[in-house]
Amino acid sequence: MDQRPEVNAGSFRDPENQVYEVTRAAGGGKTRILRGLSQGALANYRLLSEEAFFQKAMDAGHIVQTSVLTAGDEDANAIMMDGWAGVLEHEPIPFVTYPYEWTFSMLKDAALLQLRLIEESLKNGWTLKDATPYNIQWIGPRPVFIDLVSFEPWEKGEPWVGYRQFCSMFLMPLMLRAHLGIDDLPLRRSYIDGIPPTEAAKFFAGISRFKKGVLSHIIFPANVENAIAKRERDDAPARQRSSRGQSTAMVLGLVQSLTRLVHKLSAKIRHTDWSQYDKTHSYQELDFDAKKAFVLKHASTVQREYVWDIGCNTGTFSRIAGEHCSRVISVDGDHDAVEQLYLTEKENPNSNILPLVMNLANLSPGQGWAGRERQAFDQRKNPNLVLCLALIHHVRMSANIPNVLFLKWLRSLQSEIILEFVNREDEMVVKLLTNKKEQYEDYNLEQFISEAEQFFTIVDREPLKGGKREIFYLKPR
Amino acid sequence: MKITSMNNRASWSDQLLLVISVWLISSLFFPRIAFAYVDPGSGSVIVTTILGLIAAVSYTFRKYLYKIKRMMFGKKTEEQQNDHK
Repeated sequence: MDQRPEVNAGSFRDPENQVYEVTRAAGGGKTRILRGLSQGALANYRLLSEEAFFQKAMDAGHIVQTSVLTAGDEDANAIMMDGWAGVLEHEPIPFVTYPYEWTFSMLKDAALLQLRLIEESLKNGWTLKDATPYNIQWIGPRPVFIDLVSFEPWEKGEPWVGYRQFCSMFLMPLMLRAHLGIDDLPLRRSYIDGIPPTEAAKFFAGISRFKKGVLSHIIFPANVENAIAKRERDDAPARQRSSRGQSTAMVLGLVQSLTRLVHKLSAKIRHTDWSQYDKTHSYQELDFDAKKAFVLKHASTVQREYVWDIGCNTGTFSRIAGEHCSRVISVDGDHDAVEQLYLTEKENPNSNILPLVMNLANLSPGQGWAGRERQAFDQRKNPNLVLCLALIHHVRMSANIPNVLFLKWLRSLQSEIILEFVNREDEMVVKLLTNKKEQYEDYNLEQFISEAEQFFTIVDREPLKGGKREIFYLKPR
Repeated sequence: MKITSMNNRASWSDQLLLVISVWLISSLFFPRIAFAYVDPGSGSVIVTTILGLIAAVSYTFRKYLYKIKRMMFGKKTEEQQNDHK
């Protein structure tokens, strides 16, 4: 359906530009991502696009492919009617994600990309006014910088204005996990503008304050901010504080020292329930091959655009599906299993797998301003096929979500499903039920089939592990 | 990113210098700095100035270290050594 370009609900913070989206039947139903620019931002972009460092970064895929639209473009004209001086078109990002869905190494690689761009910019007389991971998206397991209006000419003596934001949004979550082993993902989800240094400082007590970078980038800024807050509490208006007078060596030196620090931060992959899935799954080799063959059979019938693998562990089945579709979104609640998947996939230059960490019983919600600034996970883009393998018993017995609710949610995705049902006799279900008072009597194959048939047509099914499990290929009714 | 052993030594001294300096600044001199009203974000002007000064020492030291190293051994520059993977 043709329409007028619509403003993206998350694009309002920078008055210099606004992102629009439009889907046109004439373009094969593809969504165009357009950006209206102010006069100043357009002039900046014209200068920036002539810079060799910028072109090099775009050619290398570190910056989203972008072009300036001419006045003849119908959508550009519509956007300019809103008062914008010019319009850019960006290559669409396959699936929008947020930093609270990324693993430690994904955030680290995004931080290094941000630092590399600021360093290159400073060396060429430019700077980046922001330093937020929301300006970075992923194409497969590769980070891409998307906010081109962040680039501004750097005035001599100007400090790195994005320093505090970089620390709050990248460095503090990384240091919390690397230095203290804290699961920083819930913090990343809640602190949408980053963890303030004063809050981050509370996690570092005693000797941990002397870990790499803590004293200088957390404790010291927190002390400064606390002192300022204490003084201003009862004080009269502010005195102007000049922000000029920083030499190139000071600004570049700070960026380079942060780059060295981020490179050194690391978080061990622990042996969790799922991080070693390839070696520890409960299948015999032949059964596992039968499961793989069933997935391959139905994932390879047509070339699909998007496949979701929910409960992906270390991605064995994501890889099978990935051979026959454009993009795989692989989601699991186990950080270390997803981290393992990311570290493997980033070494594969042709990978089309995007790994994400998320508790599937508590999906990323719509949040930020008016609950629409950041979209809920299941409101972004529907998949064409969902792999849901040996997940349903966890949803029922660990998260206490009735099968019918889970099936109803799957149906809302308007997608085909490959679902593996783990029966009560399976040793993994027995293990789950061993110390539980509630025995989930409603959880059995017959009831599952009757509930599934309310929403789906069972196209194909096959018993696995001698009948302890059954795998289904479902199409929405 | 590949970092040479010399680079590692330099970054260790960098770290030590940073820790000692920041500790001294924040514990000894910090109370004497007169702050006016500023929002928490503009506190970063103070932070970047102080950390920037310390980083500039390391930046300049490294610059000359690599220059000397290159002159003496014909080694590559730091930029060439770091492949920024």
